[in-house]
Amino acid sequence: MNQFMRFLEEKFMPIAAKVGEQRHLQAIRDGIIMTVPLVMIGSLFLILGFLPIKGYESFMANIFGDSWQSNLLYPVGVTFDLLAIFIAFGVAYRLAERYQLDPLSIAIISVACFMLVTPYKISFTPEGADKTYEVTGIPLALTGSKGMFVAIIIAILTTEIYRFVVKRNIVIKMPDGVPPSVAKSFAALLPGFAVILTVWLLRLLLQVTPFENMHNIVSTLLGKPLSLLGGSLAGAIIAVMVAQMLWVTGIHGQAIVWGIMSPIWLALVDENRIAFTSGKEIPNIVNVQFMDIFYSIGGSGTTLGLALLLVLKSRSQQLKQLGRLAIAPGLFNINEPIIFGLPMVMNPIMMIPFILVPVVIVSVSYFAMDLGLVAKTAGVMVPWTTPVGIGGFLATGGKISGAILQLFNVALSAALYYPFFRIWDNQKYKEEHQMKKEVS
Amino acid sequence: MNILLICAAGMSTSLLVTKMQQAAKEKGLDAIIWAVSADEAKDHLDRADVVLLGPQIRYKLSHFKKEGEARGIPVDVINPADYGRVNGAGVLDFALRLKR
Repeated sequence: MNQFMRFLEEKFMPIAAKVGEQRHLQAIRDGIIMTVPLVMIGSLFLILGFLPIKGYESFMANIFGDSWQSNLLYPVGVTFDLLAIFIAFGVAYRLAERYQLDPLSIAIISVACFMLVTPYKISFTPEGADKTYEVTGIPLALTGSKGMFVAIIIAILTTEIYRFVVKRNIVIKMPDGVPPSVAKSFAALLPGFAVILTVWLLRLLLQVTPFENMHNIVSTLLGKPLSLLGGSLAGAIIAVMVAQMLWVTGIHGQAIVWGIMSPIWLALVDENRIAFTSGKEIPNIVNVQFMDIFYSIGGSGTTLGLALLLVLKSRSQQLKQLGRLAIAPGLFNINEPIIFGLPMVMNPIMMIPFILVPVVIVSVSYFAMDLGLVAKTAGVMVPWTTPVGIGGFLATGGKISGAILQLFNVALSAALYYPFFRIWDNQKYKEEHQMKKEVS
Repeated sequence: MNILLICAAGMSTSLLVTKMQQAAKEKGLDAIIWAVSADEAKDHLDRADVVLLGPQIRYKLSHFKKEGEARGIPVDVINPADYGRVNGAGVLDFALRLKR
């Protein structure tokens, strides 16, 4: 056990921390974080559009007319369907900030370049016709989550080319007396030109390949394999184990692992949303909602059950007090008091369930959905701080089974933590007793 | 005395802020204490006299130390045990000692 802890502390943690600090990965994470509030607002409308209550649809239609649902879904469209555009903007902005370049100029160039590699073609079938036509227009299918990987690549490419040109000092210098903002807009011209030129050539080049455009090549070579890996049970288990092991060394494992996985997991959320709104079967079990709602109950490591044990079953005064302190934040899925107070960090006893309980929870939740016992998440993005029960209900598009699975996970995790909790509690209890004896 | 606390999302640390404010009040100390996420921290550093990091982002210490040195502000990581127990008084003392 000591050797394992030394491995975590000396080898595992520094590497993971370095990965987490890598500037492109951080820009991707921060850029995606920018889009999350929007997606959550869109989700609110999404839930309202599909409340699974009997008579709800006819009730709404009576009040707001037959087109109530499509009216209600407008905000969903402008949030989810433009995700890739926001990400092209956000990632470039954050990366430019890191390089201390003008973030706004680079972000809009990045959006332009994203559109530059996107074919302005939509397939269109007129009503009554059996032939599909290709018409000109911005394809919303590619500006949503489907275009996310392209957006990320373009954002990084844009910023790097821009930086390269600026570093070479090929900028237009303005004479003194020219207002700084004017000078800035001209300065943005040359590096921006280099970026657009490169991306334009890239598009022309790809046009003559069998892939036809960048979206096709990226989804075949990158998007599909990554989604398969990240969306699998094995991918989810590896992700939680890495996150938990990082927490054992005392650093925020979820922030690091989620940062890497979120582009993949967010795309999977949106695939579910599209299926859900069109009434098709929901394709993906694993996605960012699945992880946040069913594994992070009470915080990383499904510790809400443990917090309850601490309050109800501790003999040690110290642990009882910790439980009282931990239970309120735990309801909102924050568990730093447990991680650092119990502690989980470098604790040879508690780290065993802390790493393994989430693996069980993720597997059980996965199979519950795979067997159809519990509804899959419906692409509704719920804040990770949503309390247990409510989160599961909303994330599955208003299905009771989601709430029940969450409660089941709390009970199961409590049962699995229990033997280890007992050992730790006894140890603490004895320590407290010993101290009292020594004092008297 | 302005004490800035930084953690991953700024949420768990905000719990500590409340406890530290109580402790400061009891001491009769005039202190402004607030918590932000690591991403927003940059915009807050200039207003701080002391910067404390949550232990879960201690891998960012060298980054924030550099930022702190440029501004002449002490930066350090909060003791994990004090953090976990939400020991407001203890962390406040730590901040005061750092400032000295």
